[in-house]
Amino acid sequence: MAMQVELRVFATLRKYLPDHPLDRGVVVTVEPGTTVGQLITKAGVPLEKVKIVMVNNRHADLDQQLVDGDRVAVFPPVAGG
Amino acid sequence: MIVERYARNLGLPGWTVETQRRLATAGVLVVGAGGLGSAVLPYLVAAGVGRTGIVEDDTVEITNLQRQVLYDTPDVGTSKAEAAARRLSALNPEVTVTPHRTRLTPENAAGILAAYDLVIDCTDNLATRQLINRTCLELGKPWVHAAVSEYYGHVTTLRPAGPCWHCLSGMDTAAEPPPSGILGPVAGLIGCLQATEALKYLTGTGRLLVGRLLVWDALRPGWEEFSYRKNPDCAVCGNRNIPVPPAAD
Ligand SMILES: [Zn+2]
Repeated sequence: MAMQVELRVFATLRKYLPDHPLDRGVVVTVEPGTTVGQLITKAGVPLEKVKIVMVNNRHADLDQQLVDGDRVAVFPPVAGG
Repeated sequence: MIVERYARNLGLPGWTVETQRRLATAGVLVVGAGGLGSAVLPYLVAAGVGRTGIVEDDTVEITNLQRQVLYDTPDVGTSKAEAAARRLSALNPEVTVTPHRTRLTPENAAGILAAYDLVIDCTDNLATRQLINRTCLELGKPWVHAAVSEYYGHVTTLRPAGPCWHCLSGMDTAAEPPPSGILGPVAGLIGCLQATEALKYLTGTGRLLVGRLLVWDALRPGWEEFSYRKNPDCAVCGNRNIPVPPAAD
């Protein structure tokens, strides 16, 4: 049964999801067993632009499998000072 | 030490003359004197940190002045480290400000960092952050990391025993072009958080952002906190706790 997860992108990754609301993420429907990396690709964010991923506000890997209702946050390398 | 200057520090709960003396004997190295450094440096010097070092080899450019509020228009073309030191010494002549007019390199990093108690990362590139992380682990120094881009900024504090920057960021430091835009006060806001963490660390006040990435998104707008842990397989800090086997005789 398909699941729904939330994907939020930060900083310069916003440009890949023009429909991303300012105050919350986009909801993506995925199949069970989908990984964080597959979600990012499916949403149209280039994986090579991703530096850090968090699931439910905890540090995670791209190969972590998602469960229904997960909140995924994705960050690019941020170099500015 | 002129106690009157620090009356609003001394009025803080838990802050005594002894706390202020501890600050006066502390040394902090600020790597980078750009947008983050422009906020960090005046607050450290004003609060009475005894020794502040500035690592910066750039000169002031007109495009810096939109956010690097430590500099004035007549400073354009002059050394940032020297201009910053002049301004900061006028702000608080009781403390020492040392400009290091160089980039941090693998050759000079340990020598410069060794003289300070805490390092603040205000750099504009990932390679220098990688170098700060390694050198701080080697020397057992804590550091406060921050980075900003466009309307976004984050901050976290790293201690030698805790998760390191590579535990959070991974080994890959693929060259990332500097952001083409940074909203000035976002850099100021994040720099102020770095200064806050530094003053808390040096005075033993409150809890620190260790293992916690605090994120500001000015568009949303909102703060959010994310947690990260020491990665046992981290290529930089992963094996540090394995005891060295006794030498066979
Ligand atoms: Zn590590």
